[in-house]
Amino acid sequence: MFAFVGGARRSLSASLMLAAATLALIGAAPAWASEAAVAIGSLYEPQNLDNTAGAGQGINEAFNGNVYEALFRLNDDGSVSPSLVKDYKVSDDGLTYTFTLQPGVAFHSGKPLTAADVKWSIEHVTSADSKSSRKNSLKPIAAIETPDDATVVVKLSSRSISLPYNLSYVWVINDQATDLQSHEDGTGPYALDSWQRGSALALKRFDKYWGAKPENDGVVYKYFSEATALNNALLTGAVDVITSVQSPDSLAQFKDNADFTVAEGKSTTKLILAYNDRVAPFDNIKVRKALARAVDKAKLLSAVWGDYGTLIGSFVPPTDPWYVDLTKVDGYDPASAKALLKEAGYPDGFSFTLDTPNYDPHPLAAQFLQSELAKVGVKVKINVITPNEWYTKIYKAHDFQATLQEHVNHRDIVFYGNPDFYWGYNNPKVVDLIKQSEAAASVDEQTAKLKEANIQIAEDAASNWLYLYPQIVVSKASVSGYPVNGLNSQFFAFGIKKSAD
Amino acid sequence: MTDIATPAAGRRLSPTFVIGLVLVGLNVAVALTTLVWTPYDPTAMTGGRLAPPSLLHLAGTDRLGRDLFTEIMIGARIALTVGIGAVAIAALIGVSLGLIAAFASRTLDDILVATLDILIAFPTLLLAMLIVAASDGASLGTAILAIGVAASAIVARLTRILARRVLAMDYVTAARVAGTSWIGIVRIHVLPNIWPTLIVNLALQFGLAVIAEASLSYLGLGAPPPNASWGRLLQEAQGTVYTAPFGAVAPGLALLSLVIGLNLTADGLRDIADPTRRTRT
Repeated sequence: MFAFVGGARRSLSASLMLAAATLALIGAAPAWASEAAVAIGSLYEPQNLDNTAGAGQGINEAFNGNVYEALFRLNDDGSVSPSLVKDYKVSDDGLTYTFTLQPGVAFHSGKPLTAADVKWSIEHVTSADSKSSRKNSLKPIAAIETPDDATVVVKLSSRSISLPYNLSYVWVINDQATDLQSHEDGTGPYALDSWQRGSALALKRFDKYWGAKPENDGVVYKYFSEATALNNALLTGAVDVITSVQSPDSLAQFKDNADFTVAEGKSTTKLILAYNDRVAPFDNIKVRKALARAVDKAKLLSAVWGDYGTLIGSFVPPTDPWYVDLTKVDGYDPASAKALLKEAGYPDGFSFTLDTPNYDPHPLAAQFLQSELAKVGVKVKINVITPNEWYTKIYKAHDFQATLQEHVNHRDIVFYGNPDFYWGYNNPKVVDLIKQSEAAASVDEQTAKLKEANIQIAEDAASNWLYLYPQIVVSKASVSGYPVNGLNSQFFAFGIKKSAD
Repeated sequence: MTDIATPAAGRRLSPTFVIGLVLVGLNVAVALTTLVWTPYDPTAMTGGRLAPPSLLHLAGTDRLGRDLFTEIMIGARIALTVGIGAVAIAALIGVSLGLIAAFASRTLDDILVATLDILIAFPTLLLAMLIVAASDGASLGTAILAIGVAASAIVARLTRILARRVLAMDYVTAARVAGTSWIGIVRIHVLPNIWPTLIVNLALQFGLAVIAEASLSYLGLGAPPPNASWGRLLQEAQGTVYTAPFGAVAPGLALLSLVIGLNLTADGLRDIADPTRRTRT
């Protein structure tokens, strides 16, 4: 209740600073809070409202494309198209990008968008204290110039073919904005209405939006800590749509029911057993290959997801352009796993500690691995940890032998080109290929290089890629127009239509 | 009612006490059986995913195809191990502290009582969670220690009150005057007088410890997998409660049987220890 009151007061005082015309907006405010808003149920409440401050995947879900826009947009089908950029030119050497901004774009606070805001926003992501996991990808940016208010010139130190893609998660923020962890000032079709920590985040339509008007007046992201509660909320009509269903068992109640629509899209979320490739015995490629062959992943996938989901032989899902079917490289083969362990000098196996995040499906997967690996003589000690411990102990301190983790990002094979990443995979060939792919002159060349890198990490069994999650969106039958693929955990709300029940 | 006046005729055990003993006995028997035999290897993924109860799998299977009946049997062992361990710790710490407080000087007594009051005001589960968080990862040992320490405060306070009452008796004063050491007083006068009440309380604590263990495991702070704690089984069944409800019902019933059994046993013990209350049965 306190959070709600506080939130309302904050937005009111912010509104008072606006021009007189905006007073009309305040007058209309109660209408947005009405039942007309689309209620979106999710398990991923953001920790804060800044995607460079460790807010978690929930902030992408709520804000990407809805509240904040970027120069480019990653569409639901995986393509990248211009968003706040009207037009852009690349110099022949590929080192200078000249972006012309869309005219007539205003921030929610009323200030018009200028090139200075774009420069500030990019630097916000690349700054020293930014916790963005994609910071490394923007490293080639050497300088940003703003010759006039509508032009941004980005100078690179080396070619970066995926610059437009990488800019798709750089939110364009008002350079005067403060306290981004609990407020926003973006250019998107929705503005933040209120945020009740622990329960809901409401967005209302921004009437001075430069682009196409959203199909609804507003949306409310309602957060649940538990999947069963979320499903019940949809059953009882408390939410209109669930962004991603996390177990196949809850689908039964929606599937054969004409009141609901079940849509299966493509996800980029991978469950992986990541070794610390720096430490013995996981520095030994034979050990890693043995462990890859010792696990019947099809059985694990069906245990967790029933008939849903996809097996992958590497970190790359089929929606990435450099996907190759690598499931046969280290297919299920316990006999050869044993032989490889013997060759590696572990005829009697070994034991290791598996740091397991405490939420589904990790504990279940850990027990499955424990049972499977025991068959080839490898003993697993399961150590259950919290997400916070995972972040400090594993991601920051690299203090682990092996861990389970779900990786949600799209096009994230580049992590294998960073030897300082938590899993410590370091193959100079892959580091080089990923560097070259970025410096490629054409998309075809980039794709070819990354395919090669993809095959190499699979050959090296860099990690143990268990499976690719399905992406299942369930909604009331009266609701349509939502994205089904959930790339980078985005959930564009502007197309959602709600017809009368 | 009628046999109050004739205690020599032997006390008839109340039916609820018998039911309690049977339930506890059943759980103990199952727990002991698992030491030598279980229907399946608890980690063997033999059945299909979420198979319903059948003759092959009496309680069905979990998502990994493991036999739930086997896991529930082992769960009884875990629950009893934690219960016995925690109650032993609670008795050891609680009775010692309680006796010290009873004999202590006014100042020390005040400090101890204040500390105990703070500990008691602290929710048992929260205290246990703090202890688990402070130790290096959750294990069966930390769960036992955490629950035992949390329960010891209640035992200590009860012991202190009971011991004080005994110490105020004239015969204790007489013993003191006669030069009996305080250890002697504890052995001869205090313990024999307070143990019946203590046993009843420890039996109740046992039931609470079983629930606390299930709660900790439910939260992922109990014995790590693959220890088949009932709390963890409940947690794992939560997501599949619509398609395979028996996966949640079966461990729930098991937990219920042991806790009710322990509480009925405690009630029965209280009736025996305190004949004035037998009129109620």
